[in-house]
Amino acid sequence: MEIPSYLPKNLDELDSLLRGVTSPVTYVAGGTDIMIHEQRWKSARCLVSLESVSEMHDTLRFDEAGVLIGAAVPLSDIIRDEGVRQQLPILVDACRQIGSVQIQNRATLGGNIANASPAGDTLPVLSVLDASLWIGPRERGEFQKMKLPDVMLGPGLTSLKNNRYIAYIYLPFPEPDNLFWYFRKVGPRYSMAISKLSLAVLGWLEGKRLLDIRICAGSVSPQIKRAGRTEELLRNRPLSREIIEKADGQLREEIAPISDIRSSSDYRRQIAGSLLMESLTALIEKKSAHEF
Amino acid sequence: MKITFNVNGKDRSLELSPQKRLLDILREDLELTGSKEGCGKGECGSCTVLLNGKRVNSCLVPAFQLPGSAVITIEGLQNWPGFQLVEQAFTEHGAVQCGFCMPGYVMSAVSVLQETPLPLDLKEVKFRVAGNMCRCTGYSKILEVFMDLQNRKDLLKAVHQLLGKTDGNTLISAEKSG
Repeated sequence: MEIPSYLPKNLDELDSLLRGVTSPVTYVAGGTDIMIHEQRWKSARCLVSLESVSEMHDTLRFDEAGVLIGAAVPLSDIIRDEGVRQQLPILVDACRQIGSVQIQNRATLGGNIANASPAGDTLPVLSVLDASLWIGPRERGEFQKMKLPDVMLGPGLTSLKNNRYIAYIYLPFPEPDNLFWYFRKVGPRYSMAISKLSLAVLGWLEGKRLLDIRICAGSVSPQIKRAGRTEELLRNRPLSREIIEKADGQLREEIAPISDIRSSSDYRRQIAGSLLMESLTALIEKKSAHEF
Repeated sequence: MKITFNVNGKDRSLELSPQKRLLDILREDLELTGSKEGCGKGECGSCTVLLNGKRVNSCLVPAFQLPGSAVITIEGLQNWPGFQLVEQAFTEHGAVQCGFCMPGYVMSAVSVLQETPLPLDLKEVKFRVAGNMCRCTGYSKILEVFMDLQNRKDLLKAVHQLLGKTDGNTLISAEKSG
């Protein structure tokens, strides 16, 4: 029997549609992930497109402090956007390394989050950017605001029960003075590869002093979490080769990678530490951290 | 469910399952077998088509999201003035081996020419073509084609005419004049 499917045109239509639906719905933004998970795709009982929801598909709205991105904006629109390129080059870098242009023309940030893969390429970057996720349906006209670790709970697992959906992602601009950033994905090739491991670093260096730092590795734990203890070790300290080596050791200890088809646990620990060293050593050597 | 969308300039109304893949609709319902299935997972690019002017993997587009869209397949380029130029470049460089991946490469070649400010260097071209695979592995020749096409001004003009509008009108007029 044919399953029902809906193409709500805007958020109001989406929310009123959901009030009338009691069974679980399967949301489809760009479809690039869900359609290849045959079991999940075939077992869908009701399809709701998020691509058709104009606010979610079209919104890239800047205010003084940040940018609000619709959860169903195609990655290629984010990559091309002049404002995002200027303010959040680390996000552009991560988006460009997802799949291929064909994929980027359909895939979305909302999909990358809701798919909840520890290898999701944008997740470490969204984490160091301190993203807020706006969750619908709206209650009394308001979205619920949540942080990434409260939404992405583990592989394929989110807290989005009862047909809740990600409507927007809000990214505050990091304070631009003394800012440096680093993103690197390690995979068998540059494009079209599921990452073995990725590392996102955002920090502020004044002279030799590391004022603050945010570190998040991807594909190293079931949840996307910042490396709090490593950050603590580095925060408000003068940057030296000694402290960088300590941070390498701390990060290796702090993450909990598994061994799987793409990499061994040992390899992931080692590389995570090495990438962190690479990003910080570049600062000592006065290279900009992303010139690799 | 009844789904109406535009393929190569013609409106089509078809009775389809909402989960049917665009690739299968093209091949089975419309008998447009130029788009090929290599992997069915969005990795090989053999099924690349233009959806509302942007290249996508047709194996990853479900029927229920198609209403009102405009799709251009390799067949739709047949009477487009730029096609001969693209075809010529692929043959001149000896870039075609078994040919299975070629419809996808041609769609990407056309699309690349309107995606980014040109000219692209080889590194960027490699990046832009990463979503297409050739298992005969004639990559260096294919990359030569992509580098070469950027320099053909008449082709750039034809691409602009084709993709400046995505409602298929350009194709219709091309078909009439062709």
